Amino acid sequence: MMILTQTPAISVMVKRWLGKMLMVICLPMALAGLPANADSQINAATEVISKMIGEVETYLATDPGDVARRTQNIARLFDTHFDLEGIARFSAGPYWRAATDQERITYIQTMRDLMVGTVVRNFDQLSGLNFTTIDSQAKGDKMVLVRGTFNDASGKRPPISVGWRVITPGAAPAKVLDVEIENISMLVTQKQENIAIIRKNEGKFSALIEAMKSRQQSR
Amino acid sequence: MLTSPDRIARQAHFLPLVAMLFLAACSSVPETERTDPRDPFEASNRKAFAFNMAVDTYLLEPAASGYRKTIPLAGRRAVDNHIDWIGLPATTFNSTLQGRFENAGLSAIHFTINSLTLGLIDLTEDPKAVKEQDFGQTLASFDVPEGNYLMVPLLGPNTNRSLTGRFVDTVTNPVSFLKAGDSIETMQSLRTPVAVVARRANLFEPFNDVKYNSLDPYARTRSLYYQGRAGRINATIGKPTDNRETDDQFESFLESSK
Repeated sequence: MMILTQTPAISVMVKRWLGKMLMVICLPMALAGLPANADSQINAATEVISKMIGEVETYLATDPGDVARRTQNIARLFDTHFDLEGIARFSAGPYWRAATDQERITYIQTMRDLMVGTVVRNFDQLSGLNFTTIDSQAKGDKMVLVRGTFNDASGKRPPISVGWRVITPGAAPAKVLDVEIENISMLVTQKQENIAIIRKNEGKFSALIEAMKSRQQSR
Repeated sequence: MLTSPDRIARQAHFLPLVAMLFLAACSSVPETERTDPRDPFEASNRKAFAFNMAVDTYLLEPAASGYRKTIPLAGRRAVDNHIDWIGLPATTFNSTLQGRFENAGLSAIHFTINSLTLGLIDLTEDPKAVKEQDFGQTLASFDVPEGNYLMVPLLGPNTNRSLTGRFVDTVTNPVSFLKAGDSIETMQSLRTPVAVVARRANLFEPFNDVKYNSLDPYARTRSLYYQGRAGRINATIGKPTDNRETDDQFESFLESSK
């Protein structure tokens, strides 16, 4: 009888003891793991930025001035190093959920083409710029802000402060989600612009796609 | 020689702004129809923006383009230095009000040293040491609410708070009251238009990108203004790189993606 009545108490005690033991074992591991994880997160982000900058430098060094070739190179750069779906979801704001699958696909494709087109048009302005990383800061467990400066080798243009928000999803490769220029987020700007267009058109996501397509055609 | 009353009277160019505020107040957009909750006067703001863009197309852009082509880099730098120098008393004044005495002292020293060249040549060792401060930032440091978004004809994007700041900075700047001969007065009267053209020239490509390549230049300008202003306000309270609002947006985005 006594054993029976004591069983739940023993069980609770055993659970508590096991819990404590697990805490004793796991806490140092967790504490040791945190900075290691943050470090690997930061390393992955810094690496993707330096790799991307290296590729741009190669493109600039071997640039024949041909628009088709530039478009191909920049498109490859975006597909490899940028989280295009993340950019699309963020920039569409709450309207992403309301969009149909086909609208989402069209939006991602149109947005990518617009971004590539913008970089290709301004490609010559990248010439002579050197990027120096200043620091990298983990923003939560899935994002790192890599900050640095673009300096003009000729000294004609003032230094530009740039921050890259890199998604670091652990097993998957790190990818760029946003670029901040002088502390101004390009993605937040795009999102607010997109939301304004959708709201002006009674919440129709298709209106945004139409506006993007007509902008693309006018270029 | 200081002649504050007649100088203040000459600030009549602010009257259209006051009129604009009243007009804007008459055409508030219902909250559900706003494209941004901070912009209740969007309809009239968009009209003011269209007016500003027309002024830019026919006046400023050609002037800025000509300025870039004709004035050598050294000359443009001298103009930029002079414009920065003129703003230093406002920085001293506002830094003092904010209790940032080091910045106040530095700006006063920089102003005094560079007054030898009327600010055209920077004689200080580190011109970036002074952090520019305006009265809008001072109001922000006192937790005065930002108010609504206002697109002001000829002045561009503002909020109630920053527009008040601009007005106070203009009427309290002692350099505006100074009378010291014809050449200085000519320089004073030319200063504003030259500063506007120089600023447009310095931002030539980014400005044109917003103007010609945006899906909605008005919405983009508003977003850029708010983010840029937030950066300056953060700098006022000693957090130059901590853009909390942007961080929050990304944090909630990542949370919703889980």
